[in-house]
Amino acid sequence: MTTVATIKKNRETVRRVRRAILFVVSLLFVAVAWELYKAVGPEAGGKIFGWKLLPRSNNNAMPHVWDMLMRYNRPELRGSDRKIWSVVLAGAWFSFRLALVGFAIGSTLGLGLSILMARFKIAERGILPYLVVSQTVPLIALAPLVVSWGGKLHIAGWTWPRWMSAAVLGAFLAFFPVAVGALKGLTSAPLASHELMDSYAASWWQTLRKLRFPAAIPFIVPSLKLAASASVIGVVVAEISTGLKGGIGRLIIEYAREATGDPAKVFTAVFGAAALGLAMSGLVTLADIYMMRNRPKEASA
Amino acid sequence: MSAIEITNISQAFNLGMSNQVDALTDINLSIASGEFVSLIGPSGCGKSTLLRLIANLLVPTSGAIVVNGKSAKQARLDQDYGMAFQQSGLFEWRTVAKNIELPLELKGWDKTRRQARATEMLELVKLSDFANHFPWQLSGGMQQRVAIARALAVHPSLLLMDEPFGALDEMTREHMQSELLSICRASGTTVVFVTHSIPEAVYLSNRVVVMSPRPGRVAEIVDVSIEGERNDATRDNAVFFQRITAVREALRGVEMSDHVRGIEDR
Ligand SMILES: Nc1ncnc2c1ncn2[C@@H]1O[C@H](COP(=O)(O)OP(=O)(O)OP(=O)(O)O)[C@@H](O)[C@H]1O
Ligand SMILES: [Mg+2]
Repeated sequence: MTTVATIKKNRETVRRVRRAILFVVSLLFVAVAWELYKAVGPEAGGKIFGWKLLPRSNNNAMPHVWDMLMRYNRPELRGSDRKIWSVVLAGAWFSFRLALVGFAIGSTLGLGLSILMARFKIAERGILPYLVVSQTVPLIALAPLVVSWGGKLHIAGWTWPRWMSAAVLGAFLAFFPVAVGALKGLTSAPLASHELMDSYAASWWQTLRKLRFPAAIPFIVPSLKLAASASVIGVVVAEISTGLKGGIGRLIIEYAREATGDPAKVFTAVFGAAALGLAMSGLVTLADIYMMRNRPKEASA
Repeated sequence: MSAIEITNISQAFNLGMSNQVDALTDINLSIASGEFVSLIGPSGCGKSTLLRLIANLLVPTSGAIVVNGKSAKQARLDQDYGMAFQQSGLFEWRTVAKNIELPLELKGWDKTRRQARATEMLELVKLSDFANHFPWQLSGGMQQRVAIARALAVHPSLLLMDEPFGALDEMTREHMQSELLSICRASGTTVVFVTHSIPEAVYLSNRVVVMSPRPGRVAEIVDVSIEGERNDATRDNAVFFQRITAVREALRGVEMSDHVRGIEDR
């Protein structure tokens, strides 16, 4: 038994290492493809079958990969001694914390709603359609509203910090997958298991804690992954549309304005945003490994 | 005192609708304390329904069920019975020991008491080495034993089983039958046991209730009464074969009135 378990565990490790290697290889592949296109693509862009499809391959539109990487080690502004990697890192860290707050609020809210919907059929019928509609509201339109609502909030000396609006918008995107995924999970336990709990005269809350919730974990975990990347998108878009300073979103628009003179600069921030998203989903993957550690491996694969 | 008293039970699903199913009509059955009773009959004759009525997972359309001298509902609230089904129904996120502790947790037992009882039950079903394994790491037969240990964990006076050995191979099945008998003999547990197998019913039971379908009724009750303790030798006993024939005849009678399917003759 134990040897079988060890072999399985080893196999799991091998799979993870292989996945990590694959990820690095695919990054290299993208870099190579980028440079290849720069080598053969038309300098001024081009048309395929009359459609303007091919982007310009000149150094202004598509800087060399090494130029982008080298840019990290040069100062952010001429004459400043602050290297751009530290600025990007600080921005990504700022946004990461906002995304984390948004993710936490969103997941909690989503989970709460799903429990409410699982408890009361009426709640499901009354709430679910609104949840779906809520996700069709464009974030850009919502951002200024949240900022102005938040600005009017004064509760016992506490005022709404500006960054809170960005976190709330992250939460706004994050709660939806969790609510839907958890609802599906909470209702996934077979009838026989519910009858078993009934035969023990278990209360609704006991059934939630000991049956519904554990049964929902395999559904909640992937929805948390979606929520993690959604919260990053929400925060970055909110930073851009509310003009919040300090985060990676703000850096992206600032650097984009300098694209003509310093084309590699904006890419440093874009990669920073990508790394931020990776960090978030990495965090959830750790949670995934922890929560699913004792589940049948076939089911989680 | 009788453990279960069933009087004039009828059960209809979708009552008053065009798809109404009369699952059971006019069932009367009295089961004595410590008795082992099997329910056998063609598929759809209402065996599971009757079991679920006793368990108070269903409320009968009419009639009364008294379990341990109280209403079926009170018996359920008091956890007077344990249940086991064809599918073991173990929770995959709990270890074997934790699965057995589940009914004890719901009774509010403290940790030490729970663990002591789980250890005791694991010894009973001979799975002590697997306490910290997860159900998906066990074979089907082992999972079924865990489910039975879970059903017995509260030391219920009554055990309700719906084809618990249906998914097992013949060898494991006979082994489990013997174990179940010795467990029940030792604890004086009353058992209501649903099966499709005539030999299984005869081997295990004091009485075999033969049911007929559409609507489900008690067609005949075969008194098994084999002398002495039951063991593997019983299976070669002449009386054993006589009783098997008796149950088969009773089922044939049922067959006359309706097409019999799903009865195994092994
Ligand atoms: N929830 C339900 N709703 C409607 N009809 C039901 C329901 N449960 C059972 N029935 C019907 O009641 C009848 C008896 O079902 P039951 O499951 O008790 O049969 P059974 O004797 O256990 O059959 P099997 O041997 O196949 O397990 C069947 O005709 C079935 O279709
Ligand atoms: Mg059945």
